[in-house]
Amino acid sequence: MYPLVRIGPFNLSSGGLLLLLAIIIGSTLMERAARRRGGATLTDQASRVTLPAVIGAVIGGRLWYGLLNWDLYGTNPQLFLALRLVDLAWPGALLGGVLGGWLWCRLRRFDTAAIADAAALGLLPTQAIACIGLLLSGEAFGIPTTLPWGVALFGATRHPTQIYLVLAALLSFAALHLLGRRPAPAGTLFAAYLLLQGLMLLLLEPLRADSLLLPYGVRAAQVAGLGLVLVALVWLRAHVVSAEAPGEQTGGRLSESGV
Amino acid sequence: MKVQMLVMSRSRWNMLLAATLLVGSLFIAATRVRPEATVALASPRPAVVTTPAPQENHPAPDFTLLDLAGVPVRLSDLRGQVVLVNVWATWCPPCRAEMPMIQAAYAQYRTQGFTVLAVNLREDAPTVARYMEQNRLTFPALLDRDGAVGDHYQARVLPSSFFIDKAGVVRAVYRGPMARSMITGTVEQLLAEEP
Repeated sequence: MYPLVRIGPFNLSSGGLLLLLAIIIGSTLMERAARRRGGATLTDQASRVTLPAVIGAVIGGRLWYGLLNWDLYGTNPQLFLALRLVDLAWPGALLGGVLGGWLWCRLRRFDTAAIADAAALGLLPTQAIACIGLLLSGEAFGIPTTLPWGVALFGATRHPTQIYLVLAALLSFAALHLLGRRPAPAGTLFAAYLLLQGLMLLLLEPLRADSLLLPYGVRAAQVAGLGLVLVALVWLRAHVVSAEAPGEQTGGRLSESGV
Repeated sequence: MKVQMLVMSRSRWNMLLAATLLVGSLFIAATRVRPEATVALASPRPAVVTTPAPQENHPAPDFTLLDLAGVPVRLSDLRGQVVLVNVWATWCPPCRAEMPMIQAAYAQYRTQGFTVLAVNLREDAPTVARYMEQNRLTFPALLDRDGAVGDHYQARVLPSSFFIDKAGVVRAVYRGPMARSMITGTVEQLLAEEP
């Protein structure tokens, strides 16, 4: 664990530095993906969505953390505004970021679906780098395990959840790249991204020892994960799934924007 | 150009949706965090060993540390109260994760004779004070600047938690992060005992 980096008189958190680096790299990759897929117009639009999306992510991440630590945040609402990088939660950040980006696109009449596709390609490397930061700080630590690849952390041999998260992000990135080579309606890549993120939350969250809980011990992140999977499946049904099967033409909306 | 990526009828897709909802919900229910087995401390109180040690059924090793205001706090002065000695640091994620739960237990049981001594390992007063203030933690934080108390309590793992009963005997030791039910269960049992 190397939670702090000493640069002269400053103690900087390694996780925070990596997150900053990850956001810079991620937005660069997003703009490159936008240029490749939609030229200068889309690049310009994509770069102007980054800030509202990041603001949405910060608000969503803190709200999620605060609402699920309600006995502390409920009595001290100022905590919602505290300037700290930790105490943000990824499911909330993802939902908030999507909402922030979407609202801005609607407001500015940007090409929402195409921007979302580019964002999906930029987000996954961002997450992979940010999760290396988790490994340095020991955040998002796992439950105890007897598996041979367990890591010694906080008094037990634990699942290296942070490494699982990095691998999940890299595998999802590879999957999106393969998918991106095939013709598909705009928005398909982002739907696939949400589907993979949902699966990640659903499947990896049970290995974490620091889950935020809903009543009955239900892990909040898993509920968000299942929700994302379902939203992605519903979107894919409307836009990608063939309506060609006999007798199913009615109400079937064909994908409007082939690439 | 018409795109046909997934050749599957909508009714099949709807079945897939329903199956995902069902299997996903069952998986969430199966992997939920179950309440820990109820904390069962040995009761009535066992014969107590007399050598102080940071182990169950030993008298808690005494210490005096300065709090954030520079006032010395001595553990043995708290005899008659149930005390949680929590050895922690601000850079330790599981310590941070359990702080809201410790605060909740402190707020709930303080008037019944429960207190917390949050022994901070080797950090300076401004760092700790800022953390306590930012997180609205109201229990006493003590500064173990040279790590002597941490060593004495064999706190090789952060966080380490020691529950001390009204007679000053260590009754439960948890190394690593605690669940909410572990804190409240232990405190309730120790508060219920006769002094």
